[in-house]
Amino acid sequence: MKKHGEPTSRAWAALCVVVAAIYLFMLGPILITAAVSFNQSNRSLFPPQGFSLRWWTRALSPEWLDPLWFSLQLGATASILSVGLALPLAFALVRHRFRGRNALLALTLGPLLLPALVTGVGLLQLFQYAGFREAIGLPALIAGHVLICMPFAVRTISVSLQGLPPNLEHAAASLGASAWRIQLHVVAPLIKNGIVAGALFAFIHSFTDVNLSLFLARPGETPINVKILGFLEFGFAPTLAAVSVVTIAIPLVLVIMVQRLTGLGDFLYAERGHG
Amino acid sequence: MADPALDLVGLEKRYGDIAAVAGVDLCVAEGEFVTLLGPSGCGKTTMLGLIAGFFAPSRGDVRVRGKSVLGVPPFRRDIGVVFQDYALFPHMSAAQNVAFGLKMRRLPDAEIVRRVGEALDLVKLSGLGERRPNELSGGQRQRVALARAMVIRPAILLLDEPLSNLDLKLREEMRVEIAELQRRLAITTMFVTHDQGEALVMSDRVAVMNGGRIEQIGRPADIYERPASCFVAQFIGRINLFLGRVKAGNGGLRVHAGAIAPALPAPPELGDGAAVHIALHPERASLSHEVPLAGWFAARGRIDRVLYLGATREIRLILDNGERAIAEMPNTGDSVDFAPGDSVWFSAPPEACRVFRKQSTDVR
Repeated sequence: MKKHGEPTSRAWAALCVVVAAIYLFMLGPILITAAVSFNQSNRSLFPPQGFSLRWWTRALSPEWLDPLWFSLQLGATASILSVGLALPLAFALVRHRFRGRNALLALTLGPLLLPALVTGVGLLQLFQYAGFREAIGLPALIAGHVLICMPFAVRTISVSLQGLPPNLEHAAASLGASAWRIQLHVVAPLIKNGIVAGALFAFIHSFTDVNLSLFLARPGETPINVKILGFLEFGFAPTLAAVSVVTIAIPLVLVIMVQRLTGLGDFLYAERGHG
Repeated sequence: MADPALDLVGLEKRYGDIAAVAGVDLCVAEGEFVTLLGPSGCGKTTMLGLIAGFFAPSRGDVRVRGKSVLGVPPFRRDIGVVFQDYALFPHMSAAQNVAFGLKMRRLPDAEIVRRVGEALDLVKLSGLGERRPNELSGGQRQRVALARAMVIRPAILLLDEPLSNLDLKLREEMRVEIAELQRRLAITTMFVTHDQGEALVMSDRVAVMNGGRIEQIGRPADIYERPASCFVAQFIGRINLFLGRVKAGNGGLRVHAGAIAPALPAPPELGDGAAVHIALHPERASLSHEVPLAGWFAARGRIDRVLYLGATREIRLILDNGERAIAEMPNTGDSVDFAPGDSVWFSAPPEACRVFRKQSTDVR
């Protein structure tokens, strides 16, 4: 007789089917897009007709590589600036209780709740009417992306700060470490993963954004996703499929690399036990 | 006379209207082991924070070797602290944890290595220096924390309930070990605990704290045998408390405890009619079928339960006046002729009984 609570083989099979279906549903579109990019035909057929790399040669031409490079630069800048602003913000929000703390918290995390589209329209109007028309393009994009990416960095850094055992800094102080050396030798190494995770999330959020960039880009200073959207007007050519695969692969490779280097998984799924 | 290692003068810490530490004066001699004993919330951990300099007192002074350390930041105070949760640095090995304080003092590498090795030997952790805190057991982490605080040879060592996270057997081992280590190194130590057993075993002197004040300070035996208040008596061990009243009679004031007779001499500061508590440790009480000696504190009662505890038997009685009493008898190997339902005499020599004025805050 089977023990109570042990899955029967039939329940196990059902579970496998459901899980497989979920994965197929999530990964299917990506796999189809990848397959389509190898079409020989002029149309985006699935299953692909024949095999050819000609769409990939087009996708890797300056027409697409320039906006891709622009997106990478934009993402990196937004990510670095976000972390730079998020660090002092997270310290203030986690460590101190002051007047206006809740307002600051709401302002910091607010952009997470607003549709980026609305933020984009708002920023566009701000730049137009406040006399910063010249800023539209890279400077406006950087400002906008920092606005929507910083909340992620504030969140991850706050979480890692809150996860510090309470007496650690007292212990370091009693052992003779000045405030500065406590930050350097104790706090910094322990919140490193939060900082890296924040930078990564900020980068990915910036890299995948369309809604905000749509309003703040200008010719020659266009992120890859805006470029893709524009190209879609002429139909979904296999070139787009190839470009899409590249834009999916970049964040994926980044996450895997960072996870290997820092054990980000611990941060993303569960804090490792301290002490 | 040399300055005391640590001198607390009228120390006070208020949070709004609440005084966590409400005026403490305490002098600790060089090399002495003093325990702050009290229930949670009595201000003992706050006192450690004030001494270590994690926060400033509202009033009063902290003097280390004669010099006030108010305004001196914690990292210049030369005070080692072992925290209840050990607060080991999780990203460093045991050896790196121990080395931290020496590194902060910028000692030469060779000396750091030597002293870390010695310190780990001292706490019996040699060979485990490369382990991270999460690869060590609770007791081993405790030893790392101890080594880390002692290796800097602090003027004063503060221990904040360091044993409370260990299981019973380890706790009993560690309290002897810590006390021995402290005596060997002669580090002036202040130990905080809510465990009276730890306090009695480890300390040169025990300060019993209540409501942010020191209620009594003295050698462990003094505190146990001659508690100064009902609170101390109840906190320092299991105790029988009987209600009584002072009555004037021939031969001065005597304490009468309900139907429990005969009377005890009343402390001189209590007047006629004062309500009192009589405190009596269970191991000082005797049980007998015969009438006890004249002049002894005695009452008749009925045995309710006999609990066999191995080393002792605990006998619970209901006295004729309805009060409950406990007597503890050592297990001598002889059979005991007391069984539930027996009617017996519960008695104690008068010197075993302590009389306190009944206070409104007393539990009974």
